[in-house]
Amino acid sequence: MVDFYIDLFSSVDFIKPYQSSIFIISVVLSGIPIFGFMAVNALVAVYVERKVSAFMQDRLGPMGHGVGLHAGKWGVLQTLADAIKLLTKEDIIPKSADKKLFLLAPCIIFIGSFVAFAGFPFNEFLVAADFNLGLFYILAMSSVGVIGIILAGYSSNNKWSLYGSMRSAAQIVSYEIPAALSLLPIVMLSGSLAFKDIVLAQTGSTLGILPNWFIFDNPFMIVAFWLFFIAGVAEVNRTPFDLPEAESELVAGWMTEYSGMRWAFFFLAEYANMFIVAGVATIGFLGGWLSPIPGFFEGNIWGVFWLVSKTSFLIFVMMWFRWTFPRLRTDQLMRMCWKFFLPGSFFVIIGVGLWDLLMR
Amino acid sequence: MNYFLAIFDTISTLITGMSVTLSHMLKIRKGNVTLQYPVERWPRPERNIGFNEESYNVIRSRLTVDMDDCIGCLKCERACPVDCIKIETHKVEKGEDLADANHTGITSNGTPKRLLVTRFDIDMSECCYCNLCTYPCPEECIFMVGGPNSNRHEIDYEFSEYDRNDMVYRFSKVPPDILQNYVQKKEISEKAS
Repeated sequence: MVDFYIDLFSSVDFIKPYQSSIFIISVVLSGIPIFGFMAVNALVAVYVERKVSAFMQDRLGPMGHGVGLHAGKWGVLQTLADAIKLLTKEDIIPKSADKKLFLLAPCIIFIGSFVAFAGFPFNEFLVAADFNLGLFYILAMSSVGVIGIILAGYSSNNKWSLYGSMRSAAQIVSYEIPAALSLLPIVMLSGSLAFKDIVLAQTGSTLGILPNWFIFDNPFMIVAFWLFFIAGVAEVNRTPFDLPEAESELVAGWMTEYSGMRWAFFFLAEYANMFIVAGVATIGFLGGWLSPIPGFFEGNIWGVFWLVSKTSFLIFVMMWFRWTFPRLRTDQLMRMCWKFFLPGSFFVIIGVGLWDLLMR
Repeated sequence: MNYFLAIFDTISTLITGMSVTLSHMLKIRKGNVTLQYPVERWPRPERNIGFNEESYNVIRSRLTVDMDDCIGCLKCERACPVDCIKIETHKVEKGEDLADANHTGITSNGTPKRLLVTRFDIDMSECCYCNLCTYPCPEECIFMVGGPNSNRHEIDYEFSEYDRNDMVYRFSKVPPDILQNYVQKKEISEKAS
């Protein structure tokens, strides 16, 4: 989209001489939709999460009935009301906090997920910045948030925040390795790091009926998908891996001292990260913007629909995990990462390589 | 071999757990336990609180006053241990109907009224449900809804309100604009005397 805007503005005669401002305006114009998408994603995901959690526990979740303002049918406007509440809340900074870092931390976390979204394609053309290293870029950018988490924990000047941030950082840094390694088979099969080439390598159908997605390519890819998805759930700090947030021991971990708008930014980044992890799993293993019935419902608009619906399904599965599984202990978490996931992902890489060599 | 059995066991138990939560989610219309309170309500409780004597099984639910029978004797106000009843009266002609103030001159027991009740407020948030105000009433016009009186007023046991001030029930039938006339008259007559 940046290139598209640059071409568009360069074709207009009277803007042509201001090359530097054209670049800035193009970047801003392609950044605004991303921010809008992140906000809408967070609003919808929070509502769906509350509803899913309620339904799984035989409750009803947010409903419209109550005192004063009406929250819409089935409580649809509940998250909007929450967002307005968060925006208008007092911004509290603890007295003993390291003020500059305290203010900087939410920005870094938000920028981490925002920048990762820049390389995320919604269909063949709808991508803010089209890299030929898209997969690598997203993996790199999704780890920027760790700095923000450590800063948030350190600058709060609160031992529980620090513990929470250390746990979170340890978890994210560890699980990034199996997540990245379990994405390598995709690169091996498609021969490219660009999302466009990865999805194009999955066109057509296999075995007659199934779409030619990488998850159906060979048995090892199912394991790879599973490893990546679980590692991704751990990377975005969701239950059963939500150790940084522990009400009884750490309160809310590194988010404890934050309130109002800054806390809302953490939330926005968290749900954006969920979308990115689910989206990378979709593009890498589930055919991205390709239709599940090969040859039908293809096209640019349908592409966005398929990508978002597949991603939403994976986000739903994350929520499903959250309300089903009990959480792990810290040592179990680390053991699972280093003793099972890391060897498992190496095993998958070798398996896919051998399969590609011998079976084709 | 045990290693693979353990893996199989893990996966099968994970799937069992997830199917349980999914089945609960899909059956939410049948299985939900939430009561949408202001719209749905619990069924009315049984009118038996465990006494053998029939007349003791009285639910003291809510104080109500039949203003047509009230003669403004203030006995209930004096009997109240928490002073939640506030009554103000104004002297009128004995037994005379006042149509503008919704005042009937004679009660259903045949007693002629001497006083117009300009204010009869009961603060139900202060009421302790002791029932002491109902016994001294000579006309039996103040009573707890429920029990033997359930034929006179529909039983009401919730009377929850959004605002605390709505818990003050104002029984006086005198319209506010008419009330002003009577209060002014009273002041004039007091000055004259």
